[in-house]
Amino acid sequence: MNRRVVITACSAITPIGHSRADICRSLLKGVSGVKALRDDGLLTRYIQSGVFGTVDYPIDYAFKRQHSKTMGPVAYYACQVAKDVLEQAGLDPAFIGSGRLGVAFGSTHGSPTVQRDIYRTFFGGSQSKFSSIGAVDYLKSMVHTTAVNITKMFGITGRVISSSTACTTSSQSIGFGYEAVKYGMQDAMLCGGADEYDTTTVAVFDNLLACSTKFNATPHLTPRPFDIQRDGLVVGEGAGAVLLEEYEFARNRGAHILGEVIGFACNNNGGDLVLPNMDGITLTLRSALKDARTNPEEVDFISAHATATKMGDVIEAQAIAKVYGDKPLVAGLKSYMGHTMGSCGVIETILSLYMLAEGWVAPTLNLIEIDKRCAMIRHATTITEAKIRIAAVQNFAFGGVNTSLLLKKFDD
Amino acid sequence: MVREEIQARILEIFRNSFEIEDPGLDDDLRDIHGFDSIDGIELLREIEIMLDTELTREEKENAMEVRTINQILDYIQLLASQRGRN
Repeated sequence: MNRRVVITACSAITPIGHSRADICRSLLKGVSGVKALRDDGLLTRYIQSGVFGTVDYPIDYAFKRQHSKTMGPVAYYACQVAKDVLEQAGLDPAFIGSGRLGVAFGSTHGSPTVQRDIYRTFFGGSQSKFSSIGAVDYLKSMVHTTAVNITKMFGITGRVISSSTACTTSSQSIGFGYEAVKYGMQDAMLCGGADEYDTTTVAVFDNLLACSTKFNATPHLTPRPFDIQRDGLVVGEGAGAVLLEEYEFARNRGAHILGEVIGFACNNNGGDLVLPNMDGITLTLRSALKDARTNPEEVDFISAHATATKMGDVIEAQAIAKVYGDKPLVAGLKSYMGHTMGSCGVIETILSLYMLAEGWVAPTLNLIEIDKRCAMIRHATTITEAKIRIAAVQNFAFGGVNTSLLLKKFDD
Repeated sequence: MVREEIQARILEIFRNSFEIEDPGLDDDLRDIHGFDSIDGIELLREIEIMLDTELTREEKENAMEVRTINQILDYIQLLASQRGRN
């Protein structure tokens, strides 16, 4: 069974906006969502990087306590984008609880904010004889908290997939959701990822010398994917969700179709857990093309993982050149908001869908002087009008996990 | 602690911690107000603080059958009497 899989709704909470209009405005005006790192009273004094991709606008959550009592900040993000998507899609309530709609949603490590509270209870030196973890602390903090809070809030009864593979978390959500629909296990999947404001992740990457540190006084000038002055990644927060539906099911119910997922691949480098690997990445890109039965020259746009690390960008540019040559436009969308970790794959997918619909490609922000070692591909350096028919979204994670998603502008 | 005093404090906890406003004293809290087992565990912690005493595991398990505000008040009064506080 090989069924077509279409995208019928999407929503993202990002450091550059929540609505499609706000996000597109930020992309067109070159607005950065990277801000100064807030002092957390714990780790920030040890961290050299002083920047963070920050969601600093209010979000009008209207969750009842019945639902919010098991939610940490990461689940608030997840449930909000899921709510946006379900409202957009207008699915029949009977279908939502039919077992034919599933959820593929994850985060890097659940809710670090709640986990800190738990550790504070045990190690904070409190003399209270009643100090103990709360009844809901595990439900708020656990690694699959996003997926199951979504199922609880909306009464979704299909299968649950909750990837937690850092930077490939939500690209896996979309990919595994696509496969569940394509092969007939589900008729629709609500897919995505989220990560909350978290300095632990900054500390981890900072310790590995992977974080940007030279632009602490000018946060909007970093990260700088493919630029000669890039000095590392910037951690960020955010969330995104897409609804995938089987094509005939979507068409029969008159759904508005935003695009089609035509291919997905995921592999592992089978070795080093940190260093980028040309062979592993190249194989993923080619496998996705094979899955999509698409030739490399048919791809018009590539959303690169492009974290702005010294080596990662070079290996990725070389892999793109090897597989695709220099025809497709390439943009590193993390340049606008930093690396939103578990949500980057779905956010970059949604931004690609917006650009596909709008007919332009946003440039990689802060790409002023292209590193010669990354110069063999066609970088988007200005707003470029482009009729994108097929787009590739690629993501690579610590642990050697690689993914590539292929999206197509919808046509019958 | 007299029953009226306990009742006032319990209703305040329900209002502030569980967003349940003035439930009927014999309402089934689960069926009518969505008060579930997780809320029950949170309430036991509030009762420990109210009575300034730790509850045993057996005492906590005994609370699992409680369904109404009146039953909660009975439960607290029993705990208080067993600790010589009535």
